[in-house]
Amino acid sequence: MKIRERKRDGVAILEMSGKLMGGPDADAFDETLKTLIHEGCRNVIVSMEKVSWVNSTGLGILISGYTTLRKSGGELKLLKVSDRIENIFIVSKLYTVFASFQDEDEAVRSFS
Amino acid sequence: MKRRVELRLPSRMEYLGVPDVVLAEVGGELGCARRRLEELGTAIIEACTNAMEHGNHLAEDLCIEIWLDLAEDLITVTVLDHGPGFDHAGWRPSDDVMRQRGRGLLIMREFTDHLEFGRHADGRFLTRMIKQMAPEEEPSADGSE
Repeated sequence: MKIRERKRDGVAILEMSGKLMGGPDADAFDETLKTLIHEGCRNVIVSMEKVSWVNSTGLGILISGYTTLRKSGGELKLLKVSDRIENIFIVSKLYTVFASFQDEDEAVRSFS
Repeated sequence: MKRRVELRLPSRMEYLGVPDVVLAEVGGELGCARRRLEELGTAIIEACTNAMEHGNHLAEDLCIEIWLDLAEDLITVTVLDHGPGFDHAGWRPSDDVMRQRGRGLLIMREFTDHLEFGRHADGRFLTRMIKQMAPEEEPSADGSE
């Protein structure tokens, strides 16, 4: 998994690509969030457009990130989740936890 | 028509996507609906994650084996590892939505028509999943589903 970071209107957008499956991915994601929090950026959008698949360990990474940001007063939202991955969110009931958007403008505005 | 495709993978997480790619290729050739192939692929990724992580403890010298048995409208997947197995009979889905782990079985169960665990004659732990396939529907002339 690769993470490309950019910022827009004070919101960090993390563009993930590849497979989200735990292991070293968890450390890289956790490290990125900790750096953002340290810099004072607590609102994060995770763009899933280029993520081909997620396994249950990968879901754990997103949950951990969500919890970390909530504890620091921020939020983690999802952008451009594919039908395939959305199916997993439905089955695991995680769609009740993560706010999800298809449009980036809308996702950014949701923090204001 | 019955065919078997066999894969043997070292227990390294970066190979988890290989069976998914192979399934998409062979299932696509059979004309199976993309959505069903993706669901089965997701279940296979979970089974292989368990087999590599909990079965073989990510020991690279231990391989997992995956068999894709293709029939006309049915795909049966068998995943074999060298682990002791687990108490699948006693498994119940957790109500804690925020738990960080423990969704693998739920995903396998929800995305297949049949899920069973057992032991192969040679002693390896076995996960078997069966999913009914449907042909990919042609889009209608007016664009409706």
